[in-house]
Amino acid sequence: MTAVIETERLGKRYRRLWALADCTLSIPAGHVVGIVGPNGAGKTTLLSLAAGLLAPTTGTIEVLGGPPPENPAELARVGFVAQDAPVYAGLPVADHLRLGAHLNPGWDEALARARIERLDLDPGQKAGKLSGGQRAQLALTLAIAKRPGLLILDEPVASLDPLARREFLQDLMEAVAEQGLSVVLSSHLIADLERVCDYLIVLVASRVLVAGPVDELLATHYLLTGPRRDPATLPAGQQVISASHTDRQTTLLVRTSGPVLDPAWTVSEVGLEDLALAYMKQARPARRNHHLEVQQ
Amino acid sequence: MTWLAWRQFRPQATAAAVALAAFTVLLAATGPHLASLYAASGVTGCHIDSCDRPASNFLGLLGGIDTVVYLLGVAAVILTPAVIGIFWGAPLIAREFETGTFRLAWTQSITRTRWLAVKLGLTGLAALAVTEGLALMFGWWAAPIGQAARVTAGTFPLGMGPFSLPAFDAHGITPLGYAAFAFTLGVTAGVLIRRAVPAMAVTLIIFAAIQVAMPLGIRPYLFPPAHTTASLSGYFSGGQTISPGGGFALAVDHVRGEPGAWIYSSGAVNAAGHPVSTMPAACIQNNDPLPCLASHGIRVAVTYQPTSRYWAFQWTETAIYLALALALAGFCFWRVSRRRY
Repeated sequence: MTAVIETERLGKRYRRLWALADCTLSIPAGHVVGIVGPNGAGKTTLLSLAAGLLAPTTGTIEVLGGPPPENPAELARVGFVAQDAPVYAGLPVADHLRLGAHLNPGWDEALARARIERLDLDPGQKAGKLSGGQRAQLALTLAIAKRPGLLILDEPVASLDPLARREFLQDLMEAVAEQGLSVVLSSHLIADLERVCDYLIVLVASRVLVAGPVDELLATHYLLTGPRRDPATLPAGQQVISASHTDRQTTLLVRTSGPVLDPAWTVSEVGLEDLALAYMKQARPARRNHHLEVQQ
Repeated sequence: MTWLAWRQFRPQATAAAVALAAFTVLLAATGPHLASLYAASGVTGCHIDSCDRPASNFLGLLGGIDTVVYLLGVAAVILTPAVIGIFWGAPLIAREFETGTFRLAWTQSITRTRWLAVKLGLTGLAALAVTEGLALMFGWWAAPIGQAARVTAGTFPLGMGPFSLPAFDAHGITPLGYAAFAFTLGVTAGVLIRRAVPAMAVTLIIFAAIQVAMPLGIRPYLFPPAHTTASLSGYFSGGQTISPGGGFALAVDHVRGEPGAWIYSSGAVNAAGHPVSTMPAACIQNNDPLPCLASHGIRVAVTYQPTSRYWAFQWTETAIYLALALALAGFCFWRVSRRRY
């Protein structure tokens, strides 16, 4: 399995604050990868490093098997939509397409035009007058029409209303299906990712707490409910992710590759959101020093 | 990239073109009248010693409209670099940071160095062209006034020699240097501050400070001044104020044979060349002390820059500003290509 992004003890410091520290991860190709984590986990910093906007302070990062994009050929292979989808407010939609055509040798004009038409964007409309959802769509169009091998989206739907959010993700799915590109997107809302991602990474305080194909994650995590009991007494193969107790009852979220055989437990499947939240909750004490959410 | 840089610059370019056109019309409408007055005045072709009168006549003929246009022109040429630095330079990169669009631009298939080079190059060349175009047009318009002012000793509202403030700053090639410097200063402020309005304010403050410091603190020392002494009779014709103790001062406002020279200082010196400020006793009672002073060997000494050095001053000052501009541009490239954003 080849990796689109591979980091080794990657760190980025802004003056005295570490926005990302000691982050080691590998993001496989051919997936729509969701990176979730609380604000300040280092998601934006990680993606900015991958897009070549930042240089690491420590460690290494490889993007599509090479250094982060710096020269035109490398930049052409990575599409990037920054947080809040920045576009030139004073330029109309059509000029953004011309911008893309002028600055990207691999520009797919037909694709860009078709998207703008399908999304019902008025080419004469100034980008500053677009709604948040339309702006995000325009930025995504620019990133897709340059025909990258890897598309990186930083919190693409964070500022969109629920309907625009759904439309954006739907459209993203169609584009991915048509072009077969690898996508990495971040969000602090798991519900957004559930719809589009087939691979999940939970990042808290620069650390990967869990990573894997969504199917596999769902197939190996169970919610166990039963009489009150000390989690330490579970069989060796069952790793407790979270535990909660009432006077008489214990609820556990466990990770195990084998089936749960103990008849005392009521076993139920767990949703992706609960799964991710359980990992984040587990890591909470560790995130004291990492509250920097990078804005620029 | 050229397309994008031009597209982003288009509104400012349009505004500049309109302003330049309006200024051209103003100068074209008033220039021919000025030129015909000058042609009729006889300043051209006058002998160096007899120019004062026709030049004074010509300057005296200038009406209110000419004065207004002259002052407007000087103001336009002097203020244009500042305006360019503030409104073209400071927002050029700062606005991209402020709105986050630098992340859009820097993730297209183009290096940051090229992105900056095209933006700086296009807008910078426009800045130079607009400023120097303005300066050349105004220079053409004001040439008669400059010629007349150079050869007359009298003072008129517009009777300013080539070295005087602000005439020096508004003519020749220095506006080119000012524009290049102001523009890159604005860009640099924007790159460092990353917010347009504070960068504009900082640009204004620094540029204004330097434009004051240059003529007062640097320009006079670019070349060592020349010294000359001359007999009193050529400069003074009597009526000097003498204090009861015999103290006196002699000051000249021109150098003979050097019309338009830049006078640093002047004063009386004795035969040995030492400055004197007290009149010899024999001359104090004299009604017309000048011949008496002259008979005591007292002459007038002038420290000045000859008119012939005008272009040396122009080139040197322009070179200083262009060098500063290049250094600032280099800093911007270094700063932008450093991947810290």
